[in-house]
Amino acid sequence: MGTKGRSALLIGKALGSASRILRFGGGSTLPGRVARKIDPAFVRSMVDGLPLGCVLITGTNGKTTTTTLLASILEGAGITPVHNRTGANLMAGLASALIRDSDLAGTLTGRIGLFEVDEAALPDAVADTSPRLVLINNLFRDQLDRYGELDTLASRMKEAISTLERDATVALNADDPLVASVGRGLDQAVVYYGIDTDSCSSRLMQHAADSKHCSECGSPLSYEYHLFGHLGRYSCTKCGLARPEAQVAATELGVMGLEGTRCTISHPGGSISLFIPLPGLYNVYNVLAAFAVGTALEIDVEIIGHAVEKFTAAFGRVEKVRVGDRDLLMILAKNPAGMGEVLRTLAGERVWKNILLALNDNIADGRDVSWIWDVDLEMLSGQLREVVCSGIRAWDMALRVKYAELGQGSLVTEPDLERALDIGLEAVEPGDTLFVIPTYTAMLELRKILTERGLVTPFWEG
Amino acid sequence: MDIRICYLYPEMMNIYGDRGNVTALVRRCRWRGIPVDVEGLGLSEKVKPDRYDIFFMGGGQDREQVLVCHDLLENKGDAIRREIERGAAALVICGGYQLFGKYYRPFDGEKLPGINVFDAYTVAGENRMIGNVVAKSALGGRFGTVVGFENHSGKTYLGKESAPLGMVTVGSGNNGEDRTEGAVHLGAVGTYLHGSLLPKNPGLADFLIERGLARRGERSSLKPLDDTLEWRAHREAVARARKTH
Ligand SMILES: [Zn+2]
Repeated sequence: MGTKGRSALLIGKALGSASRILRFGGGSTLPGRVARKIDPAFVRSMVDGLPLGCVLITGTNGKTTTTTLLASILEGAGITPVHNRTGANLMAGLASALIRDSDLAGTLTGRIGLFEVDEAALPDAVADTSPRLVLINNLFRDQLDRYGELDTLASRMKEAISTLERDATVALNADDPLVASVGRGLDQAVVYYGIDTDSCSSRLMQHAADSKHCSECGSPLSYEYHLFGHLGRYSCTKCGLARPEAQVAATELGVMGLEGTRCTISHPGGSISLFIPLPGLYNVYNVLAAFAVGTALEIDVEIIGHAVEKFTAAFGRVEKVRVGDRDLLMILAKNPAGMGEVLRTLAGERVWKNILLALNDNIADGRDVSWIWDVDLEMLSGQLREVVCSGIRAWDMALRVKYAELGQGSLVTEPDLERALDIGLEAVEPGDTLFVIPTYTAMLELRKILTERGLVTPFWEG
Repeated sequence: MDIRICYLYPEMMNIYGDRGNVTALVRRCRWRGIPVDVEGLGLSEKVKPDRYDIFFMGGGQDREQVLVCHDLLENKGDAIRREIERGAAALVICGGYQLFGKYYRPFDGEKLPGINVFDAYTVAGENRMIGNVVAKSALGGRFGTVVGFENHSGKTYLGKESAPLGMVTVGSGNNGEDRTEGAVHLGAVGTYLHGSLLPKNPGLADFLIERGLARRGERSSLKPLDDTLEWRAHREAVARARKTH
């Protein structure tokens, strides 16, 4: 490391401890931002010190959960990762993780880099880290105001991936037609993963479906079945393009509501049955993604399975908190596909529900909130006791609920999150659960409120 | 008399929660006891004469938009224009709005011809215009404003035959230059405001329903609804738009 790199590291470290002491947001991006300003090659020179190289995880949904799961898999295998565990996934976040996990001489405490990367930041991250493995979990419509169109995004990703070393591996979700298309014609090894059973499928495409056309010839895709949004078993009606064979695949699934999912996963070395303690098909994909990466890194399947079974979700993605004699279950939903899947899981629990929907429109949430109209709130019809709408865009959310005509439940609008939380908890019967479904910055705010009440620990200490 | 809504290319042209507009039309008819039907019309299907009272089309991704452009010209354009001349209402948003104009000129490649409902043309622009929009509009209802969210790079310019839907007070509108937003021709409204426009602009929703009823031969005024929540959302969205610009 050069002089520039060393001063970047030292200043970054100083900023990191200052912000942890002053508690302005856990220091997850500021040190890295400053370090990269001092030395633009900072990340590149730091990752050179990782003997096992870097793994990058990207995709619209499930990045944080998949990466956190992989971190515990790696730890289970005795490989300490350098991991951007606060979910700061732009280049400054990667740099900050490298600063935090190194000593003053720049020696890293981990042996492998494990980074979740924002979809739009993937080309930069590939250029700066020369990863040995890149995984794309899915591509859904998410904050189009930031990314532009999905097709363009996918072709930028493919361009970046084609510059990888020839011995690098690319792990792709076979069930997502746009993601799978990234693997066609690559020189690098491609591992596909997916769901090989239609036991949880629906024949109808849900409304929040994005990729409906063949990436090769533009003709409509036909689906044997849909699993989640545009994910499913598809083929092109014209050119014969089809969903690729998955080397890592869920062959049996048994959904057990909010408790989780039983599944059997086949992999190149055999198959394993396990229980995923997180709800929803989207978490099955996160687990398959982690299996695909884990097996590609030649980690023992028993170790992977063990890490999955004892996994608790990354902060706020799914978090259960006891509040007096009531429970609060917080599930992050940041785009229509994600929220749809969360609601579908809730709808599967046949009980009366109290829900708090918290909708913000800060930059990290996406300025445009129109996506809530792509979510089938209607599936909760007749199951709701009370809906509280909150956040900066509480009134838009309330209007969405009104037009969904959810039946006899009452609707309360309270933009202030703390007050909304109290209103929501108040209406829950002792022993029952308040389901809290926030967008990203609303989740951070709610977590801060719960932290101040001593109910959860701040994520930078976790 | 029931109202029939034609949802043009519902699978392909629905990018920013556009179907929320159809939901708003349907609910606001049913809440008044007006029976309403929605029919989706996809590629290669024809528009039957006198069948539809309100047309709706949203925005799509580039690839979808090219397919739809060819299909509109070949199979539907003339019929839609004729129905609008005969009194049908229409709401077309973003990409749909562009295709209802005279043409779209991309940076490279050929002009994509439109179906000429609006006297308007669109050229590809360098920068995306993204953000909350407020426009003063005669069709806005109680507050005389429409509010929504825009996200487009095409710049649309109006000719003499089409009036703007409104004049922007926040945001870019048609082209970011002349402060106009959208276009109106008879009962047809084109606009860049998606963000599910109609739920929080009930005045505009009711304009379309009224036109649709008139097309069915019913000229009585609409039964008022309790729009407290709609107008509250409208006012809060206007306030948020002013704050974020
Ligand atoms: Zn094809």
